Amino acid sequence: MKTNALNSKLMKTSKFFMIALFSLSLITSCSDDDDNGPAPVLEEELITNVTLTFVNDADPTDIVVLASVAPDGQDGTSTQSITGAFTAGASYSLGLSLTNALENPADDVLNDDVIPAADEHFFVYAVNGINLAVSRDSDDIGGSGDTRLGVNTTWVAGNASTGNVQIILVHEPENADDSNAFGSVTGGSEDLNITFTGVEIE
Amino acid sequence: MKHNVLIVVLCVFSMVHSQNCKYTFIGEVVDFHDGTPMSGATVHIETLNRYTTGDINGKFSIKNLCNGKLTLVISHVGCETKRVDIEIIGDTFKTINMEHHLEELEEVSLVNKGSKTTRTAQETVLKEAVLQRYSHLSLGDALKEVPGISSLNTGSTIVKPIINGLHSSRILILNNSVRLQDQEWGVEHAPNIDINSANQVSVIKGSGALAYGGDAIGGVVVVTPGKVIRKDTLYGKTRVGGQTNGRGYTITSTLNKNYKSGWFAQLQGAYKKNGDFEASEHNLTNTGLNSKGITTRFGKNTFKSGFEVYYSFLDNEIGILAATRVGSVFDLQRAINSGQPIVNDPFSYTINAPKQDVKHHLGKLNYFKRFQNFGKVTLQYDYQNNKRLEFDVRIGDRRSIPAIDLTLQTHTVLADVNLDVNLDRKINFGILARYQDNFANPETGVRRLIPDYEKYDVGLYATTEWRINSNFTADAGVRYDFNRIDAKKFYRRSRWEERGYDVDFADIIIDTLPTQFLTNPVFDYHNFSASIGGKLYLNDKSYIIGNYALSSRPPNPSELFSDGLHHSAARFELGDLRFDQEVSNRISASYNYTASKFKVLTEVFYNAIQDYIYLRPFDFISTLRGPFPFWEYQQTNAQLFGIDLNATYTITDNWQWQNKSAFIKGRDVNDDIPLIDIPPFQTTNQIRYTHKTWHRFSASLKSEWVFEQNEFPDFNFELDNQLNGQNTTVDISTPPPAYHLMHFSTEATFPFNEKTNLNVTLGINNLLDTSYRNYLNQLRFFSDELGRNITLQLQFNY
Repeated sequence: MKTNALNSKLMKTSKFFMIALFSLSLITSCSDDDDNGPAPVLEEELITNVTLTFVNDADPTDIVVLASVAPDGQDGTSTQSITGAFTAGASYSLGLSLTNALENPADDVLNDDVIPAADEHFFVYAVNGINLAVSRDSDDIGGSGDTRLGVNTTWVAGNASTGNVQIILVHEPENADDSNAFGSVTGGSEDLNITFTGVEIE
Repeated sequence: MKHNVLIVVLCVFSMVHSQNCKYTFIGEVVDFHDGTPMSGATVHIETLNRYTTGDINGKFSIKNLCNGKLTLVISHVGCETKRVDIEIIGDTFKTINMEHHLEELEEVSLVNKGSKTTRTAQETVLKEAVLQRYSHLSLGDALKEVPGISSLNTGSTIVKPIINGLHSSRILILNNSVRLQDQEWGVEHAPNIDINSANQVSVIKGSGALAYGGDAIGGVVVVTPGKVIRKDTLYGKTRVGGQTNGRGYTITSTLNKNYKSGWFAQLQGAYKKNGDFEASEHNLTNTGLNSKGITTRFGKNTFKSGFEVYYSFLDNEIGILAATRVGSVFDLQRAINSGQPIVNDPFSYTINAPKQDVKHHLGKLNYFKRFQNFGKVTLQYDYQNNKRLEFDVRIGDRRSIPAIDLTLQTHTVLADVNLDVNLDRKINFGILARYQDNFANPETGVRRLIPDYEKYDVGLYATTEWRINSNFTADAGVRYDFNRIDAKKFYRRSRWEERGYDVDFADIIIDTLPTQFLTNPVFDYHNFSASIGGKLYLNDKSYIIGNYALSSRPPNPSELFSDGLHHSAARFELGDLRFDQEVSNRISASYNYTASKFKVLTEVFYNAIQDYIYLRPFDFISTLRGPFPFWEYQQTNAQLFGIDLNATYTITDNWQWQNKSAFIKGRDVNDDIPLIDIPPFQTTNQIRYTHKTWHRFSASLKSEWVFEQNEFPDFNFELDNQLNGQNTTVDISTPPPAYHLMHFSTEATFPFNEKTNLNVTLGINNLLDTSYRNYLNQLRFFSDELGRNITLQLQFNY
């Protein structure tokens, strides 16, 4: 029937409210992201290829290559391959390579990421059924704690045998120990855990 | 408390003789809503200290009055007492509107009674007195006061409510009538609500509250800040608490300024910090918490109209147990077998990776107006900004770059109409529109967990409540929701083909990159929900409630798009673009008996969910981290049923006993296996001693007994150690054994004067320092639960 002062005040309030609402929706619609689509993520710490290249110290043509390829990185399926066989009684230097082949040129994860942060990493090796002995070289890089990281290693092939070779990269172990050169840890998380089966010493 | 009243002057008889004291005032008391006269009102003429009463037509008269001011205080059963100033100028007539059934209209009230928001749903209200005991904890912890509510934990600070066996996206949380949008699909994403900002929390089991949403297959949690008092006053409270476990402390303060005119302002802040917790036998390294919250609101609230401007901000930095770091399944297996956390460092307040840092802003504008002979119209706009950063243990300096960086912005507008002319036939309807934008920052250097997307929602609802007679109330509602999700997602080509999307979704590829596709999935969902229920008073001591609710929930972004590694679980999780919504049919019944000494509430429910979406293991692949399990979201038909009990017996004036128990079963009907993460049977018994005259002293001893869950799906898997050819079983399924805990609490309140007092509460949680693990803690493989915790809390009310 009648509008008193209180009512008109509230009308003002409601007008203010509607204006505020409208302007807010304007602001937010302006800040909307564009339609070009999102940028692909440049994945870091991605490893697609892990290659262990053993070269005979006495004969550079005697090479054993253990390779694991995961085209999608750690989250995808990987396939292992073994090229060559160890020669009984020979000594081999291991060359390690961790790369991300999704980048062009391939990203050297070992030298760009792992080695600069060597103090929080440790390589653990293991063998089963095959007569391989390992030693961490004196020029090996310092790893987690008072250890050698395990990138520069020498492997001696014993009697002819066939078995499995495992490489594990541990990130931030609680405790790393290389008193046995294969290495052992407690704690930490495994960034790599690859087993090559059917490696031969002839 | 008084309302400012719109007084309609119908007639004014102006008289000539000003000093003549023989005028008559005639008043008519009517109901504001429908204008019907209200008989039998008591009228106190304050200026003359005389009393009179209204007749059957609501009319009353006061004779022999002089010109001048007259103050009347009018009271009526079921109404709020009202004070009116009337200017007498000769014989005067006025209609006085009285407000009937305040509580039903959710009006302001001096006494915080704890009002329910539903009639026939299974709703429980937690009031401030209960909530303040959880000041140092979280909303999820407080909700466990309600039988049938448990929590899904990640450690001890990330606590998500489970309502009748369901959680995350199946639970809708409202903070001051704003639906929380904070990536709630994630089991490791705690609701972004500071419990210290809540004055009342209401839990509704099932989806009965359709005005809030149609997808609450599990239930609804309604968090409300303090009610507005309309009187000239300034009041507040400050709470300081400390706890031994985690060496934590909490400071929270609230200040309110209110005016008789209806204007109000409130400011609340809370700061919470703790360092590493400890279990009875080991430290829980990196479990610190750093939480800052602020809420402010102001506005005007009168009976006829009002508005509110509300803003809240919460910033939580949460450490995740260091021992949960898992790179390969071998790590997980070692953690499970060792039974001890691998990291057990000395106490520290430092929070390192892995950790979460979540900031949540919530702003709201709300306006309402009540129309005579019509009802109440409410308009609301709210905006939320949720910024979620999750940090993993990464190489070198990269650990300062989050692995997950999501910004979720939500705008909602809502119009709601409440027709309450006829309080026996109330009708409520409304419309809601929502726009949401999720941005996943690519700077993380880690593939997006969920993609960028835009989401549009429109909801329409209508509910009605009929009071058939004084013993029987019925309600019913329908709701329709439209959802559209428009995402931009990168798929690796290998995944795209493995999922068979190259066949079904070839047309959504919008860009082709060397190793991946950029796709643009756009999905629409039409959801119908409905509910009907009744509440019947059998006699003055007991009532029964029956309710049926149909609800449907569209798949959430993680169920559709998940495609990545779940670190602490050492598994890949895969969503499915083909999902339809899940549809729940829930029937529930309650029986309540309240006598002077004995009270009991029994609630039963049966929930059949079609196309229930859940994660299951389905494959195993060989990766650079060794063998890895794949879990994928699948749809099945599920059934849940349960019974919740709450009984109180008052032994003497001082002694009281209370039991709360909950039993629930859940099955995957298609595969005939139990559902995962269903709470085991639990029962708590509490004996409480109160002595009101000893400074409101009370002390209670609580026994909490949680059984072992013996119905669980066997998702264990064989782990093939290729090095030595040995197979071992990784037991990720077997629930931990039953446990029994004792808790003690005591409090007293010391008054300083009429308005100020100090409340002191001392609590000892896990009194016997029992070491135990909880089936519903996602980190149960890695550590025990918290050991003994002594808390002291001082609350100063002024």
